[in-house]
Amino acid sequence: MPHVEAQQRAMAINRLLSVGQLDLLRNSSGLLYRLKDTQAASKMKGSDNQEKLVYQVIEDAGNKGIWSRDIRYKSNLPLTEINKILKNLENKKLIKAVKSVAASKKKVYMLYNLQPDRSVTGGAWYSDQDFESEFVEVLNQQCFKFLQSKAEAARDSKQSPMVQRNSSFATSHEVWKYISELGISKVELSMEDIETILNTLIYDGKVEMTIIAAKEGTVGSVDGQVKLYRGVNPIIQPTGLVRTPCGLCPVFEDCCDGGEISPSTCTYMTEWLDF
Amino acid sequence: MTSQEVRLCGLLLQEHFGEVVEKVGTHLLRSGALSLRALAHETNTPLDLVKKSLCVLVQHGMCVFGSGRRGPGGPTEYRCLVERILYTLRFPRYIYTAKSLYGDTGELIVEEVLQRGEMTMSSVVKTVADRLTHNMEDGRSMDYSEVISAFSSLVDTHFLQRCLAACGKGNAATSSEKTPNSSAATPESLTDCYKLPQINLRGRGKRRRSSGDSDVDQRGGKRAKLENKELCGDEGVFWQVNFERFHLHFRDQAIISAVASKMDQTSSEIVRTMLRISEMTTQPNAAYTQPLSANEIFRALPASYNISRSTLDQYLTLLVDDPMEFVGKSGDSGGGMYVVNLHKALANLARATLESVVQERFGSRSARIFRLLLRKRHLEQKQVEDFAMIPAKEAKDMLYTLLSENLVQLQEIPKTPDHAPSRTFYLYTVNQLPTARMLLQHCYKTVGNLIERRLFETRENKRHLEKSQRIEAILASLQVSGAEPAQLTEVEEMITAPERQQLEALKHHINKMDSSENQVDETIFLLESYISSTKTSH
Repeated sequence: MPHVEAQQRAMAINRLLSVGQLDLLRNSSGLLYRLKDTQAASKMKGSDNQEKLVYQVIEDAGNKGIWSRDIRYKSNLPLTEINKILKNLENKKLIKAVKSVAASKKKVYMLYNLQPDRSVTGGAWYSDQDFESEFVEVLNQQCFKFLQSKAEAARDSKQSPMVQRNSSFATSHEVWKYISELGISKVELSMEDIETILNTLIYDGKVEMTIIAAKEGTVGSVDGQVKLYRGVNPIIQPTGLVRTPCGLCPVFEDCCDGGEISPSTCTYMTEWLDF
Repeated sequence: MTSQEVRLCGLLLQEHFGEVVEKVGTHLLRSGALSLRALAHETNTPLDLVKKSLCVLVQHGMCVFGSGRRGPGGPTEYRCLVERILYTLRFPRYIYTAKSLYGDTGELIVEEVLQRGEMTMSSVVKTVADRLTHNMEDGRSMDYSEVISAFSSLVDTHFLQRCLAACGKGNAATSSEKTPNSSAATPESLTDCYKLPQINLRGRGKRRRSSGDSDVDQRGGKRAKLENKELCGDEGVFWQVNFERFHLHFRDQAIISAVASKMDQTSSEIVRTMLRISEMTTQPNAAYTQPLSANEIFRALPASYNISRSTLDQYLTLLVDDPMEFVGKSGDSGGGMYVVNLHKALANLARATLESVVQERFGSRSARIFRLLLRKRHLEQKQVEDFAMIPAKEAKDMLYTLLSENLVQLQEIPKTPDHAPSRTFYLYTVNQLPTARMLLQHCYKTVGNLIERRLFETRENKRHLEKSQRIEAILASLQVSGAEPAQLTEVEEMITAPERQQLEALKHHINKMDSSENQVDETIFLLESYISSTKTSH
């Protein structure tokens, strides 16, 4: 606004700030002013400065939310004041408290209309702070069946071994598409979610993974890499030790000759022998 | 040696050699090296019994002796070798391997040598021929030359080896090329360790007849006396089983079957060929075989597998790329130089054994946590829950159970000099080698338990067993003297039906326990090979 003098500008800005029509922000080159939209401005009518400050702090925390102690540090207000203000704001439905999944006693505050971030609610695997283990199990089995059937199809195709192995691989993108089409999930699952499920299959020893370099832009590639998964067979049968009752015995350490628990009187052995 | 090993050795010695040898043997195991006097005094057995037991142990290679702590002037001291005693557990496996490789003749040869500890070639040949002849139909008998050829093939592939003479044993003329013995020489270093002596042994096996023709008996008796006086030209050359060679064979078998179940039959055939070529050229405890070129492998493949050269190359590339790393590529000359990673293969097999134990004992979710920790080395509690996708409460429970069984260890990393618990990182980790050692001790205890239980069952049913044996003896004598069928049935009915059932059950139980001892022994073998391979590679 070149035709207005600097002093007049400053006065106008100060007045607008005090009425609450402007937001004061600072960036590296100086101060910036932003027009608050009228709806947001009307919300803060009737609140005093302290509340506005607290509201600002919570807004800055974005969708991760902020803990009450952190609000206290940032605004330098005493605890009792903070609690009163938070209660007021909650009643006005401007902020809400969300229980964090990491520490169940901790409550974080965020703006009312924001979606809590994944790290707070735990993402797709948590519904109302409960880990959905059955959901994870079902997904686990479905992914495994998909990869296993792909490996079997490749084996039955009787082509050259290189082609066989390559066709038994599935990219994480393919698995993601299959699971989405299967429709067993009520929540939208991303490719990272599917990758965590596939990782659990690796830890089960049923699946192995390789990473190959792929051109940027091929479907499903992340940073120029594509992860491939393949169903595998275990390399040994259950070992000899666990085929005996001693291998699975819960009181193995207490067993000795001539004691109360001994091989001669072992009931597990008796049952096993009569099998 | 650990208490479990000593207990197991005691049980094995008692089963094979009796109580006196067991007493002497276990005492020697516990006390290390002892002189003859000290041993007799501490075990309270008469001196001649101690001498005889030591003879038995030395004959089987389980005891060695040498100059003791007081030097060459003092009394000789005797030491028991734990590993050799534990090999008795594996005898059935050795005999079975010999049977699968060399047929019945090979099986009987190995069985005889295992039973006697050390034997001369001529006595082996005669005994085996007699046994084989006994089992053949009337009129046929086993020629010595067939047995000799089986024996020589066993020696050529190093399954049998010469015994190093103990100090002061006389040698016959034919074995004059034997080097002077020194305690540092190992059998492998002596090239004539596998040299067959010249023996002039011609003939056929004798059939043991219970009531034969009189002239055959007379002639047989005379000939037997003659043969006893015949010197076959190989006195003093004793042969023993080369256990190390059998172990290499078992290790190769384990690797081949792992490749077959992980990939497919053809890959396992390729690995089998590679191992076969490098049988003689690889040191026993090497970490990997000598490099083999793809050309060599292609030439050495069995004729039944006619795969093209390019297919072979593809299979080799697949084997190299496999995450299990059974095969590695060490160069590009000759169409690609490939080695079999023996140490890595053994480590993978041992890891699979550990995982299988955890899975069977604690469930597949605990197995998931165990594998996760094996892969990622060190993890915090929270990370374990996240990666394994197991609810926090259950994950905590499983981790603590594994920790209490000592399969998982806890590593503390303090943030502050005072190790305040709230400011310390606690990381869970799995160490493969100590866990393998611990499981090995469990295996020894398990085998001890199985043997104990078997002896207990036999003792419990001794009465029944004796009765059935008496009845069988009566039956046999009645049959020989030509009794009527009525009398036979009357005698048979002396064993009542429930007793018969009990005997059947007893037989079934003992067979089951025997076979499970063999199965646990397979686990023992894998873990032992892994531990010794790790020791030598470090």
